[in-house]
Amino acid sequence: MSDFIKSVKEENGIVIIETNGYLNNTGGEEISAICYAKMANGQFKFLINMAGTKIVNSIGVSILIEIIEKLQEVDGKIGYYNLAPIVTKTFNIMGLTKYSTVFELEEEAINGL
Amino acid sequence: MPNQFNINELQLKYLELETLLDITNELNSFDQIPVLLQEILVKSCGVLNASSGLILLEDDNSDVLHIAADFNMDISSLKGLIFNKRKGFISEIHQTRKATHVDVESDIFLSKTNTKYALIAPLLNKKMLVGVLIVLDKESRQGISRFHESDVNMLSAIATQASVAYNNIKLIESIKEAKTFNDNVMQSIVTGVFTTNLMGEINHINRAATTIMNLEKEKVMGNHYEYVFESNQLINQLITKCELESVTLSESQYLLQCNGKSTTINISVSPLLNDMNEPIGSVVAMEDLSNLDKLKSTFKKYVSKQIVDQLLENEELLNLGGQEQEATILFSDIRGFTSMSETMSPTEVVETLNDYFNLMIEIIFKYNGTLDKIIGDALMVIFGAPIANEDDTKNAVLTAIEMQEKLIEFNQDRIINLKKPIRIGIGINRGKVISGNIGSKQQMNYTVIGDSVNLASRLCSVAKEDEIIVSETVWQQVKGVTDFKSKKLKAVTVKGKAKPIEIKAIAYFKPSFHYEQAYAKIENFLIHNLPPEYTYHSIHHVRDVVEQCERIAKKEKVEKSIIADIKLAAWLHDIGYIWEPNRHEARGSEYARSILTELNFPKSKIDLITGMIMATKIPQSPKNKYEEIICDADLDYLGREDYIENSNGLLQEIKLNREITEIDWLNIQDKFLKAHCYFTTESINRRESKKQNRMKIIQKQIINIKNGTGRT
Repeated sequence: MSDFIKSVKEENGIVIIETNGYLNNTGGEEISAICYAKMANGQFKFLINMAGTKIVNSIGVSILIEIIEKLQEVDGKIGYYNLAPIVTKTFNIMGLTKYSTVFELEEEAINGL
Repeated sequence: MPNQFNINELQLKYLELETLLDITNELNSFDQIPVLLQEILVKSCGVLNASSGLILLEDDNSDVLHIAADFNMDISSLKGLIFNKRKGFISEIHQTRKATHVDVESDIFLSKTNTKYALIAPLLNKKMLVGVLIVLDKESRQGISRFHESDVNMLSAIATQASVAYNNIKLIESIKEAKTFNDNVMQSIVTGVFTTNLMGEINHINRAATTIMNLEKEKVMGNHYEYVFESNQLINQLITKCELESVTLSESQYLLQCNGKSTTINISVSPLLNDMNEPIGSVVAMEDLSNLDKLKSTFKKYVSKQIVDQLLENEELLNLGGQEQEATILFSDIRGFTSMSETMSPTEVVETLNDYFNLMIEIIFKYNGTLDKIIGDALMVIFGAPIANEDDTKNAVLTAIEMQEKLIEFNQDRIINLKKPIRIGIGINRGKVISGNIGSKQQMNYTVIGDSVNLASRLCSVAKEDEIIVSETVWQQVKGVTDFKSKKLKAVTVKGKAKPIEIKAIAYFKPSFHYEQAYAKIENFLIHNLPPEYTYHSIHHVRDVVEQCERIAKKEKVEKSIIADIKLAAWLHDIGYIWEPNRHEARGSEYARSILTELNFPKSKIDLITGMIMATKIPQSPKNKYEEIICDADLDYLGREDYIENSNGLLQEIKLNREITEIDWLNIQDKFLKAHCYFTTESINRRESKKQNRMKIIQKQIINIKNGTGRT
C-alpha cells in the first residue's frame, strides 16, 4: 500500500478505496491500477473515500475520467464521498459529476451507488 | 473514446479563474501566516497541475529565506540549505521581482529537489522580496513537462494576491504586538489610566484603574463615564470640561467613591488627540494616595491623631534631630505574664497581648501620649515629645488611672471566660530627656533617652500589681492641679541612684462588682459555650429563668439589691451544662464561686448565689425565699401556655442520650408534674391551676393510648 492509497476494502460488493494526499498524475494512476485489477476480477462498482485528499489537479481528474470510460464499457459505476469543497468544485468544473456521483457519507454512498 | 469525456481548454481556463477567485476570496479570511501559505501552495499546485511546490519566506532581519510551506515533496534533502537572497534562483528573482521559469538542474538549491521544471513567483512587500512561491514539474498524462507561458501569468496573479494577504497578516500581527506591548505597559504602571472616546464611552482601562475604582473591567468598558462616575460628579465635570475646551485639568486629594470603596486620589484629565491633532476623546490618570494614607495611619499607631494633626499643620514643631527637653515618661508592664504565658498556647499569648495593647493604646492616645515602644508585655509612653504641652504630666497620670480602671472591666470578661486576669504595674517620672532619631543607619527610631527615662522604668518595676507609682517630681506637678489622691510610700532605692527615691502611689477608683456588666458577659459566655444540640437547656431557657426570677421576686417584694443577686444566680444556674451536664448544679456552683471571687464579688454573698444554683437540682430543695424564687422560675413553664414547646425541647434533648417512647414520655411528665410543687405565693397563684390542667390532659392522653384510641 502506498502513501496515497490508505486502504482498500469491499462492502456489499463495492470496492472502497480510501485516498490520502494529492490526487495528481501519480495518485490517479494508483487509483486506476487498483480499479483495473479489480475489474479484471469481475468487480465493477467503486467508491473513493477522499477524506484525506484536499486537492486534485486536472491530470488526476482525467485519470478518473479514463476509469469512468472503462467502467461504462462493462456497465460499472464509480462514486466519491467525503470530498473537500474545492475538490467538489473541481469535479463539477471538469464535468466529472455528469458521469459519476458525489455522495456526502459512506453509508449514503454504499446505498446509493 | 467519446468526445463528451475530453477535458477541453475552456474547462481548464474556467478552473484557473475559479481557483484564482477562490484564493482572492479566501485569502483575507486567514489570520495565521502558515495556514495562509499552505493554502496558497496547495491551490497553486492544483490549478497549475504541478506535482509539488514550496514557499520560502525571508527570516526577520536577515537575507536568508526558510521553507514556510511545502506540498507533496520530501524536503529532507533541502534541510540544511541556506536559501540566501544573493544566490541561485532567489538572487535572480530578487532583482527582477517577476515570475520566471528556472532551470532546476543548474540551480544550487532546486537541483536538490529531484525535480526537472520549476516556475517561481515573488512574494513582495512594497516591492521588496519577502518570499518566493515555487511550483515544480507540470504534470500531463505523458509525464512531466515545463510549465506553459500562461502558467507564468497565473502564478504571478496568485503570488500577487498572496503577497497582499501575507502583508495584511503581518500588519495585523505587528499592530497586535504593538497593542499587546502598550497594554502590558499600561497594565504594569501603578497609575490608573482609562480613556474615553468621542461618545464619552470608556474604551481602554488598565488594571490599576479598575483596582482604584473597585470595579471589574467588564463593568466599566463601553459604558459612558457619567454612568460609571455617577457618584463622583467632580470627575464627570472634569472630563466634560476637558472634552469641550480641550484643556488638561487636574484635582488633588479627591475622595473617589466607587462600588462601596472610598479612595483618595490625585486625578488629571487630558484631551486625547489623533495624528491630525484632532480630539478623539479623553485620557484620565488617577494616582492612588492610599499608600500615603497608610503612612499616615502607621504614624498614628505611635502618635495620637491630635499630635499628627499638629505636626501636619506646623512641621517646625517636629524636631527629630536630637534635643534636650522635659518630658514625662510612663512605663507599664504585666505582672507575672511570663509564668501566665507558660500555660497558654502561642496563639492565646498573641491574642491576649493584642487585646490588652489595643485597649491600652486607645487610652494612651486619648491623652495625647506617644507610644514609644512595646517591649514584650511592657509599654513605654512619652508625654511631651515630640510636642510639649502644659498638661503632659497630668495626662500621663490620667492615662495610668484609666489604664487600671479599664483593665478591671477587661479582666471581668477574661475571668468569666475562665482566663487569668491581667494585672499591671505602672511607673511615671518626669525630667530632662534627650529626644530624637536614635539608632543605626539601618534602623533609626524616634525615642527619648536619659536618666529620667531609666527612673520611670525602675518605678514601674517597683509598682505592685494594680499600682501606679509616681516620682515626687510628677506628684509636685499634679497635686494642685487636679483632685488626684496619693499615698506616700517608703522611699525606694533603685539601681543607678545613690539616694533613695521618694515615691507616691496614685489612688484610683476601683469599682465594686458591676451586675449589669456581669450579666452581659455571662450571657455572652453562655451563647458561645452552651452545647448547641441542647434544645431545652439553651440560652433561651436561661433568659426565661432570669426574667421569671425578676418578676416573681418583685411580686414577692424582695429588695432590689437581692433581686440583682437572684438574677445573677439565674444567669449561672445552668452554666455547668457546658462542662458536666450530669452534675451541672455542682459544677455551676464551683464556676460561680471561682469567678465571683476573682471579680471582687462580696464574699458574704457568694454562698447565697451558689445556694440558689444548687436549689434548682431536681427534686428542688429550696432552703430560703430566694432559693424558692429561682426554683419556681426554673419550672415556671409547667403552668404556662408554652408548656408543649418547652417539653418538646426537653424531649429532644433527652433523646440525645436515649430512645424514649411516647407513652414513656407521657408517664415521665405525669410523674414529674405530680411530684412538683410551686413554693412562692406568686407562682402558686399564677401557675398551679394551669399546671393541674396540664397534668389532666397528659393523664387523659395516657388513658387514650392505653385504650388504643390515640392521644387526643
